[in-house]
Amino acid sequence: MATDVAQQPIDFGKLCGDLEIQELESPCGIASPQVYGQLLGIYLLQNELCHAKFLWKRIPQAVKNANPELGQIWAVGQKLWQRDFSGAYDVLKKDWTEAYKPIMTAVLECTRRKAFNLIGQAYSSIKAEEFAAFVGLPVADALQAATAEGWIADPQTRIVTPKKPAPPVDPPLSNEQHLSVLTDYVSFMES
Amino acid sequence: MATALEQYVNTVQTLSTQGNFSQLCDFIGKSSDVLTKNANHLDNVLATLDIQSHSLGVLGILCVKYNLPNIPDFETLFVQTQEFIISCNGEHVRYATDSYADLCHKFTQNLVERKQPLRGICILVTAINKIQLFPAQLTSIHADLCQLCLLSKNLKSALQFLDQDITDISKEGGQFDARDFLLYYYYGGMIYAALKQYDKALCFFEIAVTTPSMAVSHIMLEAYKKYILVGLILHGKVPNPPKYTSQVVARYIKPLCQPYHDLASVYACNNPADVRTVVDKHQETFNRDSNIGLVKQCITSVYKKNIQRLTKTFLTLSLTDMANRVKLSGPKEAEKYVLNMIEDGEIFATINQRDGMVRFHDNPEKYNSARMLIRLDQEMQRCMQLDAKLKEMDREVAANPQFVQKSLGVHEDDVPGTSCSKTSAYQ
Repeated sequence: MATDVAQQPIDFGKLCGDLEIQELESPCGIASPQVYGQLLGIYLLQNELCHAKFLWKRIPQAVKNANPELGQIWAVGQKLWQRDFSGAYDVLKKDWTEAYKPIMTAVLECTRRKAFNLIGQAYSSIKAEEFAAFVGLPVADALQAATAEGWIADPQTRIVTPKKPAPPVDPPLSNEQHLSVLTDYVSFMES
Repeated sequence: MATALEQYVNTVQTLSTQGNFSQLCDFIGKSSDVLTKNANHLDNVLATLDIQSHSLGVLGILCVKYNLPNIPDFETLFVQTQEFIISCNGEHVRYATDSYADLCHKFTQNLVERKQPLRGICILVTAINKIQLFPAQLTSIHADLCQLCLLSKNLKSALQFLDQDITDISKEGGQFDARDFLLYYYYGGMIYAALKQYDKALCFFEIAVTTPSMAVSHIMLEAYKKYILVGLILHGKVPNPPKYTSQVVARYIKPLCQPYHDLASVYACNNPADVRTVVDKHQETFNRDSNIGLVKQCITSVYKKNIQRLTKTFLTLSLTDMANRVKLSGPKEAEKYVLNMIEDGEIFATINQRDGMVRFHDNPEKYNSARMLIRLDQEMQRCMQLDAKLKEMDREVAANPQFVQKSLGVHEDDVPGTSCSKTSAYQ
């Protein structure tokens, strides 16, 4: 379980697969609340919002009523579904119980990372307040974080000028590989 | 134990040991009446058989148990089915693929009636993996699995099968019911649509709609409705069905889908208000068909398509102007739409909050990177595999006696044993 290995980084992908099997093999089709909660959190982390939505829909009402924390996790999912970043930070800001803590912390970091990427991609300039709401930080901290990214934050005009994210580094491709691929094609075309 | 049952056990054991499975299948088929009459003792008979070495005998009994007018103890039967699917001998049960599939259908049906679809998913996944000869082979159990996945809202389990291209159909008892084929593609399309993988959904609905047919199928009709809606969401128009589409679609199915055609024609005018009017007018039909969710997505996609169209005319545009042109409530909503579309890679643009303008860009992909080359390479490989597969299938068809006779103009009645199997048309 996640709590046992909290010291090491958690392999969320593997945990996800394990939880899915646990849910499917649960007697009478109802899994433990913790399985539901962790799986829901991991789907949010993987940005698999459709899967998260259907998981929320299939959790029995009785389980939801008895475990209000499940509803709080899904509240995060709802905000992410509506792409309401600042709303998502508000609901993420709570003291999660141990079982969910590492996942939800990762969700918070991942959401902020996503916000940075999106702003870098979509804005040539953005107002400091809106930028702060996007990344879920107080304005001063947000501006500092922007500067740390190498973006220009102008304290006078209160406008942040993001930089486009660098394109992903090209994987290396050797000439021999190149040549063998081309040979394959030519022989295919000729046959 | 009645002597008839003893005889059943003995025959199953003897023939299984001898490896005479075809004869065993015949025998089991003839025994179903005897077994049904002794329904109360069937669990005792099961206890004497070994699932691994007498798989066919166990399968025969389970099928009889499922066919009883009412099942006295479903929990026991559930466990028995589960054990059988997990431990049965795949080689043996391939002699009775029809009974095996039938067992899975009945099992599914019972779970659906008892509203416990989630419980069957793992078992059906195992069942399919066990009976398939290779992953690209479609079985009639695929449709059952998709149905359970949809009903239990656990869609992920079906993806491992849906993502696999089908090139062959398992012949269960010498044939394959068109219904199972249509259901698989209909349910599969629904699963992809629910996960917003609209391109795959459209492909699945298209396969369902273009299945060769002589009569109207309800599954095909419903698939056609969803085909229109997904086509609108994805491409902003209804794709022309391919030439090989059956006459049935144009002649009988299209006239039954008038509200959907109305929606498609008003969509073409690009005016969200008009689209809404049509949606309101046919609301009842869309609700009754359970398509209202997809219809709502169509409305959102009108705005998106209009924004995409703007990128073709303008280099820069103010958010206020954009809101007016695509009839959104104001610059804030326009900004939200643009932002979402940038995130989804549907347009290339940057927003400038300093002066409230949007600048549209060309696709930044220059097609000159090694990454693109690798992707191109993968696509080429897939095309080459497809080509090889097609050639192989073409050879198979060319060597098929039925095909040769037909193409030579020999009349079918002259040749014995040429009853056309249902599957041949799909391959």
